[in-house]
Amino acid sequence: MRFSLVPTLRRATTLLAVALIPLFTAGWLSGPQSTFDVKGPVAKSQLDVFYVTVWVTMAIFVVVAAVLAYATIKFKARKTDDEHAPVPPQGHGNPLVELGLIAASIAALVIIAVPTLKAIWYTYDVPEEQRANAYEVTARGLQWWFQFEYPSEQIDGSGQLITGNELVIPAGRPVRINLRTSDVIHSFWVPKLGGKVDMIPNRGNHMWLQADEPGYFWGQCAEYCGESHAVMRFRVIALAEDDFAAWVENQKKSARTVQPSASPKAEFASYDMTRKPRNAPGYTADFDADPMAAWVNFQFPDKDENADLVAKGRALFKEKNCITCHSVRGHEGVGVNAPDLTHFGSRTTVAAGLLENSKENLHRWLMYPNDVKPGNKMWVGVNGMAGYIDIDPATKRPTGTRHIELNDTESRALVEYLHSLK
Amino acid sequence: MATATTAAYSPADAKSRASHRPWFFTRPVAKTGLVSWLTTVDHKKIGLLYGITALFFFLVGGIEALLIRVQLAVPNNTFISHQFYNELFTMHATTMIFLAVMPLSAAFFNYMMPLQIGARDVAFPRLNGFAFWVFIAGAIVLNVGWFTAAGAPDVGWFGYAPLTSNAYSQQFAGDVSTDLWIMGLQILGVSSVIGSLNFIVTIINMRAPGLTMMRLPVFTWMTLFTAFLIILSFPAITIALVELMMDRSFGTGFFEVAKGGMPILWQHLFWIFGHPEVYILILPAMGIVSEILPTFSRKPLFGYPIVVFSGAVIGFLGFGVWSHHMFTTGMGTMATAAFSLATMAIAVPTGVKIFNWVGTLWGGHIMTRTPMMFALGFIWMFMMGGFSGVMHSAAPADAQQQDSYFVVAHFHYVLIGGSIFALLAGIHFWFPLIFGRIVSEFWGKLSFWVIFVGFNVTFFPMHFLGLNGMPRRTAVYDGNMGWNSANLVATIGAFILAIGIGIYFAVMIYTYFKGKKAAGDVWDARTLEWSVPTTPPPEHNFHVTPTVHARDAFWYEKTHAKEIAAEKAKTAAETESHGGIHMPSQSWFPLVTAVGMLIGGLFFAHHYFPGAIAGGVILLIGVLGWAFEGPGGYHLHIHKDGSVTGGEGQDESAH
Repeated sequence: MRFSLVPTLRRATTLLAVALIPLFTAGWLSGPQSTFDVKGPVAKSQLDVFYVTVWVTMAIFVVVAAVLAYATIKFKARKTDDEHAPVPPQGHGNPLVELGLIAASIAALVIIAVPTLKAIWYTYDVPEEQRANAYEVTARGLQWWFQFEYPSEQIDGSGQLITGNELVIPAGRPVRINLRTSDVIHSFWVPKLGGKVDMIPNRGNHMWLQADEPGYFWGQCAEYCGESHAVMRFRVIALAEDDFAAWVENQKKSARTVQPSASPKAEFASYDMTRKPRNAPGYTADFDADPMAAWVNFQFPDKDENADLVAKGRALFKEKNCITCHSVRGHEGVGVNAPDLTHFGSRTTVAAGLLENSKENLHRWLMYPNDVKPGNKMWVGVNGMAGYIDIDPATKRPTGTRHIELNDTESRALVEYLHSLK
Repeated sequence: MATATTAAYSPADAKSRASHRPWFFTRPVAKTGLVSWLTTVDHKKIGLLYGITALFFFLVGGIEALLIRVQLAVPNNTFISHQFYNELFTMHATTMIFLAVMPLSAAFFNYMMPLQIGARDVAFPRLNGFAFWVFIAGAIVLNVGWFTAAGAPDVGWFGYAPLTSNAYSQQFAGDVSTDLWIMGLQILGVSSVIGSLNFIVTIINMRAPGLTMMRLPVFTWMTLFTAFLIILSFPAITIALVELMMDRSFGTGFFEVAKGGMPILWQHLFWIFGHPEVYILILPAMGIVSEILPTFSRKPLFGYPIVVFSGAVIGFLGFGVWSHHMFTTGMGTMATAAFSLATMAIAVPTGVKIFNWVGTLWGGHIMTRTPMMFALGFIWMFMMGGFSGVMHSAAPADAQQQDSYFVVAHFHYVLIGGSIFALLAGIHFWFPLIFGRIVSEFWGKLSFWVIFVGFNVTFFPMHFLGLNGMPRRTAVYDGNMGWNSANLVATIGAFILAIGIGIYFAVMIYTYFKGKKAAGDVWDARTLEWSVPTTPPPEHNFHVTPTVHARDAFWYEKTHAKEIAAEKAKTAAETESHGGIHMPSQSWFPLVTAVGMLIGGLFFAHHYFPGAIAGGVILLIGVLGWAFEGPGGYHLHIHKDGSVTGGEGQDESAH
């Protein structure tokens, strides 16, 4: 046989290298939801299994592809004469070759199967020896946001601590997450910490993950769940043990109340209130450069806080019926259909992890929610509660009239109030 | 038809009976024009109808895909709305699976399988026509939503409960789209099951003398396996759809959470259909490639028994791996492990096929004609799709890949690089047989290379999008996630692919009208379909029913011309002494029955039950007419000079 291995291998390696260039130059594998940039043992274990599958299949691919390419080139009829040459031997195959290849395939699959089985058991639940140390939270999917519940953090008179869209967990400690849904199927996915597990009605799922170090992680719903599935996102913030304790302590407190000053400050628009196109992005490079620092900043009241505007916003929050769906513990809000807003100002995002929680973005969300998240329940209503618009109960179609009217001035006051809820 | 029926059926009898029949039982006789197509029972005409409809929907699905890619070309795009995007990806998948790839495979089953086994037609010719018209009814019901206020179905092709329930599907618009989706799939299921039963009976009963099962062409084997997969897997989705229909129309609680229903049940029922469905899409493609590779290597398929057996093993194991679509549903460790291992096991028979295709090339005289280019492209692309499939089989790795673009990349490699490449190869390969004209090599190869490049530019980057955390079925994504350039590249690739497909079909249409005439066996082929007396084949397929002496029967005929000629003369004389070639009569009733199903389906989806009942009545009338119009049939006579006499309603005593 005139087949020589070395140049073929060299060519294959060069080709592979060329193919991989864009991945590194354009950062095709290094985004905020990269499954390669793992930050915890669950994601690490899943990545390790993935690498095994990659190396095994790559090895088989190189061999089979080389033989296939060689056969195609070697046995190609180059001239018309070749095609009319006497027919080649009409062989029907070779059972020994077949059996050999079947055995080799099975052996290759065993190499994949062993680590796969190990990782299935490891990733399913917190390992026995760490179970006592595990922290428990419940993640609940709703169209189209996430509610996070802390069963071990009970608040006198109002049950467990509840937050929305940003899950704060202790770092360096396994976290067992109960997965629940209040409507359709959703899926909880924070790629850097672990693969996804679905939230399925009438089925109590769970998962576990651990952030080895404090950090800020992107996640999003990974099961198609209706119109705004694409914009159902969330964040996970892992904090060092004492930071986490401090965060919990603050979250358990009732909403922060700002006393109006004796001499009202002048009101001026500090941000752009013009209507932006739908789907307009809500992220900034500044934030992405150090999201953890940004998160810390969100824990403190704004320096330019306008106390009078906050008071006005609080009144409007009641007047505009926001309180029927949103809870603000210690203030007027008592609803349970929508995200708990008791400490809304301390969250880095609004509209379920979609927009950075800047005043401009919050204003946009309050004024034009349907531009940001089409079909959202604040716009169309939920569980019998009307939203911004009226829906004809018979046809289930919008009637074209508004149930809640909001103008820029009112929205500014609401923004100021919500941002004061640190 | 089988000679057995001729004994009990004398031509004079038929004539006297026919003259006493009421007008609605008179069989149509048109051989050309609209009526001939509406009433045809000829497997070749029905094959063409399937093919043309499938290609039409292939283009519709392609346009849907292009709209999706335009929307995703840049982050935070506002080209189309979330709602429309959801309708597009639902209908893109549903269209490509049920209205493009499956019927295109059915087109080849219909056209080629009876020719490959040396039969005059399928076992139940009217049922064959019915399967096609029911398919059209299902296609209309599925797509009619585009023209209603509710829009097209938007629940995903997998329709996970409870998103499909009354409470959640299109909560804020009068919802008929999900009902149309249910009814459309249900009707398509009827069509598929009917067609498959017909193919199974045909392959088992109507093989030419001497054509033992282990001499069957591999494409016919794959037709048989696919048909069995269809009749065994469709009942699962039929049940699921009936339950869902009951939930939506009559308030039952199979999947209704508030009534204690189990949404997870839907997933099990859907995927126990859905996974065999994957093999329903790929096995015919494997069959086509297993015909093309030996033809253009000029040697028999390497390891024929193992290729056939591995097809059976794939079909069998295909029923035991459905929950690998559900690795993220929290099945528990043991179930996950079992389905993980079963999925890995299925890689073995699949790998075996690839080895045997390579073995077929080895030592051959490879002629790189266009069909061969597509077939070789198929092996390469299918291999890549297979390897990413093995990556999914490792459940822990799949936890990251599930519902991400990595999966999108994987199954497009299997379904475009696999199924579509093979089907395009098949169209090219059999074009001279079907239309008697041969496609230009230059333009054929050009279309192949453009499609090949476009396909890879579109789907290769999606592997990285998925591994970089981009979920599927998302209408928008933010620009700070590292997904921008890969998405743009994919969109550019999609347009290159579209241009390639455009060239391909432009060349086909040109060739149909103006292409070089090609008579007979242009590729020096090996199987019986190429032994027909003329291209395109006459309605009765073969002047003389072939007798098979070996695998690759036509190759044997060509290498044993003398004996075969003598044998054929003998068979011809025998056939004539039995009254000639028995042919099936055309009929209106398959169409009438299918129209009843269409009308009933549309009204049922609209929850207007009197209308549904009216449709049912039309269906019943069609069935009754079908039963009472009689078996029909007529005889053809082949003369020594090759001329054919006889036909429906013609004087049978002429001979």
